[in-house]
Amino acid sequence: MTPDLLFQLANPLALLGWLALALSPWSPRVTQMAAAVAIPLVLSVGYTAVVLAHWSSGNGNFNSLNGVAALFENRWLLLAGWVHYLAFDLLVGAWEARTARREGIPHLLLLPCLLTTFLFGPAGYLMFQALRASRQRKATS
Amino acid sequence: MKALDRLHADSPRYTPLALFLAMTMVPVVAALALDARMFQGIPVWIKPLKFLVSLVVYLLTLSWMARFADTATTQRAGWRWHECAVVMAVLLEMVWIGGAAAMGVGSHYNVSNRLMAVTYPMMGLAAILLTTASTTLAVAIHRNPNTGLSPPLKSGLVWGLGLTLPLTLITAGTLSAMPGHWVGGTPSDAGGLPLMGWSRDGGDLRVAHFFATHALHGVPALVFLAALLQRGDAAGSSARFIAPGVGALYAALVFGTFGQALMGHPVLAGWG
Repeated sequence: MTPDLLFQLANPLALLGWLALALSPWSPRVTQMAAAVAIPLVLSVGYTAVVLAHWSSGNGNFNSLNGVAALFENRWLLLAGWVHYLAFDLLVGAWEARTARREGIPHLLLLPCLLTTFLFGPAGYLMFQALRASRQRKATS
Repeated sequence: MKALDRLHADSPRYTPLALFLAMTMVPVVAALALDARMFQGIPVWIKPLKFLVSLVVYLLTLSWMARFADTATTQRAGWRWHECAVVMAVLLEMVWIGGAAAMGVGSHYNVSNRLMAVTYPMMGLAAILLTTASTTLAVAIHRNPNTGLSPPLKSGLVWGLGLTLPLTLITAGTLSAMPGHWVGGTPSDAGGLPLMGWSRDGGDLRVAHFFATHALHGVPALVFLAALLQRGDAAGSSARFIAPGVGALYAALVFGTFGQALMGHPVLAGWG
């Protein structure tokens, strides 16, 4: 088992979740089961296992940027960091899809937010919140 | 699921804790697959897994036996506080053992740095505390006049639960006062018996600890068998001696394996 192999497994798994979110109007419940529950759970088990097995072999810490850089010099911890992105970005994406559906936000407006969250996590979250805020203002006026 | 609902209803703290610990086995098994580090000849994650399995079995046993407890006793505030303390002790124990495995160091017997030297005795206290859950349940079952069990079976539960703490204190107490659990033989788990890992070429005090702590299973199970065999006879007069008799025999088994290990003999001397 190498970090590169697990990377090759985790990426398509997360991608599957994002694909489901992009197609979520077809089957919102199945999409949420996959993108908000099943796939994040699998990624979380993998992440937890990597951290349990390899955390102690890392040299860095969270106290300085140099410390974080030192952590990621370890390829297992680099993988853990990446899987952390994959799992949590997907959870945010699933929340966006759920919220958009509840608030009647058109799917075509959600799609660019999902794409941005997929590529640049927090920027997509920001975009989605801006979208919500702008719509709410329109609704109340 | 109905059986699970019953366990939850009878033991609303130990049942969810057992299920939670069972679920933590998933990432630990995955870590075992990823981790090449060894401790005393076996992968570092075997020990946390063994403790998870035994704590899940212990807690589910208590949850199942809780249905025979006197509810006036178990509804007291003191009972609830004790259960919460046991839950904390179980979680601390697992964090300590799992944390040591993650760092690739020993947990029991490890006094090589200040943190481990300070926590080891505290974890001994936590282990005693979590074992007292068997004693309080023995009292609560003893107090229940309507368990629905035959007198020997009820008595068997009380004896089994009641013997668990004293037998464990004697064996595990000695165990922790010695420099390690091996007496003679190779100090490694690599050549141990399948599953249990007990030494094949020397004494291993974990054998007696195992039987001592499983008194809550062993004694009721043996009483159940004895009651089956005895059913033909007059169930009245001799039936009340079944549970104490089995309890005494069981204690003899514990002390026998204990003495055997202290003398440096493997448990399956001549067989294994």
